[in-house]
Amino acid sequence: MLNREDWLPLARKLDWEFSYVEEREVFPEIISGHPWLPHNAWKDWEESFKTSYREYVENQHEKDMAVYAVRDAVGRLENVQRLATPWINGLKVHAAALALAEFTAAIGNLRGTRFGRDSAWRAMASFGALDEIRHTQIPLLLMHELVRWDSQFDWTHKFYHTNNWLAIAARHFFDELTLGQNAIEFQIATNIVLETGFTNLQFVGLASLAHGAGDYMFEKMVTSIQTDEARHAQIGHPVLALVLRHDPEYAQYLIDKWFWRNWHLFSFLTGVTMDYLAGEQRSASFKEFMEEWIVDQFFRTLDEFGLKRPWYWDIFQDELEIYHHMMYASAYTYRSTFWFDVVVPSPDDRRWLRDKYPKHWNEIDAVWECIANHWKRSGVGAEKEMSVHSSALPAFCDMCQFPLCGGTPRKNTASVFELNGANYIFCSEPCRWIFQREPERYAAHKDLVKRILAGEAPADFTALRTEYFRLTPDTWGKDVYGGEYEWLSKEPGSS
Amino acid sequence: MPIPIYGFVEGDTMGVLILAEEGETICSLTCKLLDAVRLRVDANYQYEAVYQGDVLDPDATVLQTNLKPLQRLDLKRQHDVPEGSYNG
Repeated sequence: MLNREDWLPLARKLDWEFSYVEEREVFPEIISGHPWLPHNAWKDWEESFKTSYREYVENQHEKDMAVYAVRDAVGRLENVQRLATPWINGLKVHAAALALAEFTAAIGNLRGTRFGRDSAWRAMASFGALDEIRHTQIPLLLMHELVRWDSQFDWTHKFYHTNNWLAIAARHFFDELTLGQNAIEFQIATNIVLETGFTNLQFVGLASLAHGAGDYMFEKMVTSIQTDEARHAQIGHPVLALVLRHDPEYAQYLIDKWFWRNWHLFSFLTGVTMDYLAGEQRSASFKEFMEEWIVDQFFRTLDEFGLKRPWYWDIFQDELEIYHHMMYASAYTYRSTFWFDVVVPSPDDRRWLRDKYPKHWNEIDAVWECIANHWKRSGVGAEKEMSVHSSALPAFCDMCQFPLCGGTPRKNTASVFELNGANYIFCSEPCRWIFQREPERYAAHKDLVKRILAGEAPADFTALRTEYFRLTPDTWGKDVYGGEYEWLSKEPGSS
Repeated sequence: MPIPIYGFVEGDTMGVLILAEEGETICSLTCKLLDAVRLRVDANYQYEAVYQGDVLDPDATVLQTNLKPLQRLDLKRQHDVPEGSYNG
């Protein structure tokens, strides 16, 4: 009987030379990806995990059992109810963004399973697809029990089925990344940029904050998911290496494009949770996690490939100081347009944030001062929520689909670009650059403003919130404390 | 027909959409935009409206200033003017 090391190559290298069809018919460039190379160029494709089916099933079974054991021990409703309320709302953000996005990654991996250029790649992508189905079902299972207690958890399943503005942004991202993508771009953008880079913010950084918050269920869930990601992310490395050898400019373009797209998504998803909803147990700021996991570790990986930092590096470093603060302050004043509750940072929080983000905090702090003053003037309590809430229509970036929060309060970086008689607006220079590289991919998409102007979405704010975003008085976001902050009542000028 | 304009106010964290009527003055449009962002922006400044690099006459109408749909209009703080009230 063969030992494992001798048997695995036999079980993974299964391609034969086609006699009755052309290779380009089996692997068309439009869906296998660019550059199109004959199989001879791919035949040495290999990754480091080299898992067999039997090993895969055994390992996954053990991991699932460990998740269920933690759920039974500390993941019940009564355990969640003991967590700090802001943290629970961070949990709602992640549960909604994660579950169905993972299922789209199953579809992306299945594209690799079918259109990957070597049998070993296709075998590993098959396991990747199974991983992603697991990552879909675990959060759906764990959050389902919480729906009967808090209907906002229903958005774990509902989020991507709505036209909520955050769902539009997330779908715009995942539709391109995982559903409509050729195999090469999918594996590089997902395995390299998302999974080797940004999901570490979730699965390592946020997991450590979950531990600090006493949310051992969330910690276990994401660390269990991370063990799968670490394995199937390896698919992207040999794909990137070969693309880099044959078309380095294209490889750099894919990294630059997807780094920026991930940056804006994770700024909201993770940046807001880490800096505003994680509470006093936070050990580091979002910027510090980014510097450790992205600026240092991820770019060290890219250096090893011989890739450069993106051309917009200085812009990125500026945004690292402020973008998610711009987003959160804006979002707070539109909190009834999403499915989780938010808080005003306390004076202690603001001191901490000033210390962590000295470059622009003064400008953001002035905005929070203004919001706090409105609570003081209006009076507090749930019935005053809409007195401290905006109703003007936000404007959205035609690339990332997030509100136009680029730059600083002093100088917003949005710019308008005309194409074929239509105006497009972008929050930042990199968003505009991504659009201009592939306008045929993006130009037909209508942001929320254009849907309203075209009569496809209600112009009336109340109808927009309920009919289009599918929120109800129970589920739409509120101030966690209804404005009743102890520190607010102690400040001068409080009523 | 109202003209949709992307409005940005210095001191704010985001852009908003406002609808400008052809016959209304820039002063009126400035007030409308400041009202839209009042939760986040200290109104105790004077502002001037800037469109494509030019400071607009507050008494001119939207039609006279030739504002185009889905273009950017900025309200810039007049830093050399003592705090008090804003234009209009």
